[in-house]
Amino acid sequence: MLIQILLPGLLLSGLYALIAIGFTMIFSVGRVLNLGYGAFIMFGGYIYYQSAQILGLGKVPSFVIATAAGVLLGLIVYVILIRKLKGDAIAIEISTLIFAIVTQAAIIVVFSPSPKSMWPLIPGVLRVGDVIVTYNLVVAAVTSWVVLAALFLFIGKTHIGRAIRAVSMDPKGAVISGIDPDRINLIIWGLSGGLGAMAGIFLATYTQLAPAMWVAPLIIAVAVVIVGGIGSILGGLVAAHVIGMLETITTTLIAAELRGVATMLLIILVLIIAPKGLFGKAEL
Amino acid sequence: MKISKSSKLLLAVAAMLLGSGMSGSSIAQDKDPIVVGYIGSFASDTGLSTIRGAEIAIDELNAAGGVLDGRMIKFVKADTREDVAEGIKAYEYLVESENVDFIISGSIDDVSLGWLPRMAEYKTPTLDTWTSYVGIIDLVVNEYDKYKMYFMNIACDEALATLYIDFGKDVLAKEMGYTSTVLMYEDTAFGVSIAGLVEGLLAPEAGIKISEKIIYDANTVDFAPLFNKAVSSGADFIYLVSSVRSQVPASQYVKLQVPIPMTGVNVAAFGQDFWNDTGGLGAGTSTLSPVPSVGMALDDRSAEFITNYKARYGSERPIYPHFNGFNAYYGIYTAFAAAERAGGFAPLDDWIREMENEDLKLYKDGELWFRYAFWKRGEIEPRTQREYTHNVKFDITPPFDDGSPAMVVVQWYEDGSSAVIYPPKFATGKFQEPSWVK
Repeated sequence: MLIQILLPGLLLSGLYALIAIGFTMIFSVGRVLNLGYGAFIMFGGYIYYQSAQILGLGKVPSFVIATAAGVLLGLIVYVILIRKLKGDAIAIEISTLIFAIVTQAAIIVVFSPSPKSMWPLIPGVLRVGDVIVTYNLVVAAVTSWVVLAALFLFIGKTHIGRAIRAVSMDPKGAVISGIDPDRINLIIWGLSGGLGAMAGIFLATYTQLAPAMWVAPLIIAVAVVIVGGIGSILGGLVAAHVIGMLETITTTLIAAELRGVATMLLIILVLIIAPKGLFGKAEL
Repeated sequence: MKISKSSKLLLAVAAMLLGSGMSGSSIAQDKDPIVVGYIGSFASDTGLSTIRGAEIAIDELNAAGGVLDGRMIKFVKADTREDVAEGIKAYEYLVESENVDFIISGSIDDVSLGWLPRMAEYKTPTLDTWTSYVGIIDLVVNEYDKYKMYFMNIACDEALATLYIDFGKDVLAKEMGYTSTVLMYEDTAFGVSIAGLVEGLLAPEAGIKISEKIIYDANTVDFAPLFNKAVSSGADFIYLVSSVRSQVPASQYVKLQVPIPMTGVNVAAFGQDFWNDTGGLGAGTSTLSPVPSVGMALDDRSAEFITNYKARYGSERPIYPHFNGFNAYYGIYTAFAAAERAGGFAPLDDWIREMENEDLKLYKDGELWFRYAFWKRGEIEPRTQREYTHNVKFDITPPFDDGSPAMVVVQWYEDGSSAVIYPPKFATGKFQEPSWVK
């Protein structure tokens, strides 16, 4: 029973961390909730589907194309929406939410409202006793941990990374130091779009593609940010694992239909006990 | 009297207009059309199946000179968005704004239940092609005067379940030797209802023990923990009941190569688009399906309907109509045949009487294959010993020579083909465990 929880729970947590990181970054640096983040995830999944499954361009090229398309979408959203609404957090939140709804409508028009199942990135399964996990989920979790480690290094060791940290700590101070916050935000939105698209590929190949698939990852991302602490990548990583494990325990030991409820209860509990989250701070 | 050139021209035009006005086709067009309303979803495959089945039938009737003394049929539609409140509004719109004479429905259970009181109030003749909820038939049985204008031309779920018990006994227990199952079902009215029938009837009658029950949220997209739990229960097979996003458990069953067979009710697998929707990962899924199902041999008239359907809609989804597409097609024909004998849809009681007498039989190689007739008031179904007033005249007793079977069991194979595997009269294939099941 323990392995039935630990193995799938750990791998699911890795996927959740990948889903949440792009959302966390935008909130930490730009101080806005990108409620359209789920659309990046959905967009990545559908672009990969079109490229790999419909056009047959191969899994690796399709992965690169979908991730690049996510970066491009993130940049477009920033230039067209966010830059123009700069300083008005509520307007940004509403407009990003509308962006997600419009994207969903566009997906329905282009791909139909029917959900679609996707081929796994890596076919096959790993069996440990009675427990079965797909190689696809293993790859998703490992990729997630690699990406998160790379992100840590990028933010801590590179010039741009330090500039990102500076903007997340004090935008005005960063300007005085010669950093262009607009350029940093542009980079973050592009990065977030790419990470979201990448998460979308793994999520869609693990579960399914559907026009409404942006909602659930957004909830996961919000939950990870609240539980982990706003602005903390490490906190997000820990929170993703807490939520992933909690969902697996609930599904396996309590009742499968309460899976999402457990996450909601955790959010409420954290908001009451530690409003800033487990690792809450003001910067990345 | 001298007639000017312009007056001659005017007279000629007037004569032409008069002449053309007296031709038969123009008379038909001048008459008020008969208005048929569609109520149901515009976006779902099942909704589109009903719409298209009705459209083809209506166009054929119009092309043949119209109905009820040469009147054309006008087809209007109202979208329920698979929502109860929208469904009620849609019914009101059809009756109050479009003044429909007859309504054909592709509504899901809850939506039909929602607009049913409106139907009773407006007294509008209505035919349902999708919902199979026996509770609606019970309303007709118990409150006939109130709900007598309602007909359902799909076998109700109780009839479906009765035949499915036979599949459990004959195939799952006797042929495959299964003795235990995991009952995995979604937390919806449909899921709970079917699971109740399985638990109460299939398990005891087929001698199959339910080792574990797993109820899941209908929005679940990650079935890995559920399948792991099912496998660890040690059961011989999984009995899945899924009507919402049913291709997800089917495809994850394949992706995870779950080492025990899975059967049950998978609504997505009713349609020919299932294979594409699962990305070719639908193998092994077997499901009960109302008739006519995918993988089922067809009589000549139904085969011609499919030819026309494909010619008209090409590769647009659904590429092959769901069962309710056939039901809508034949439903329009039966409703208008009844109306022709009754002199129209009004007076209501005349149309109901003729609809109750309607009996459209379709034969294949000399055998009765499908039948669109209805159980009459007071008529008792011999096997269940109860009434199914205004439900389609199903037959749940082999050799099925008195009506359509209530359902068939369909299986999708690893090469992407599908076949009917039960009952034997309609079988085009055999029940197979997937290759990865040891």
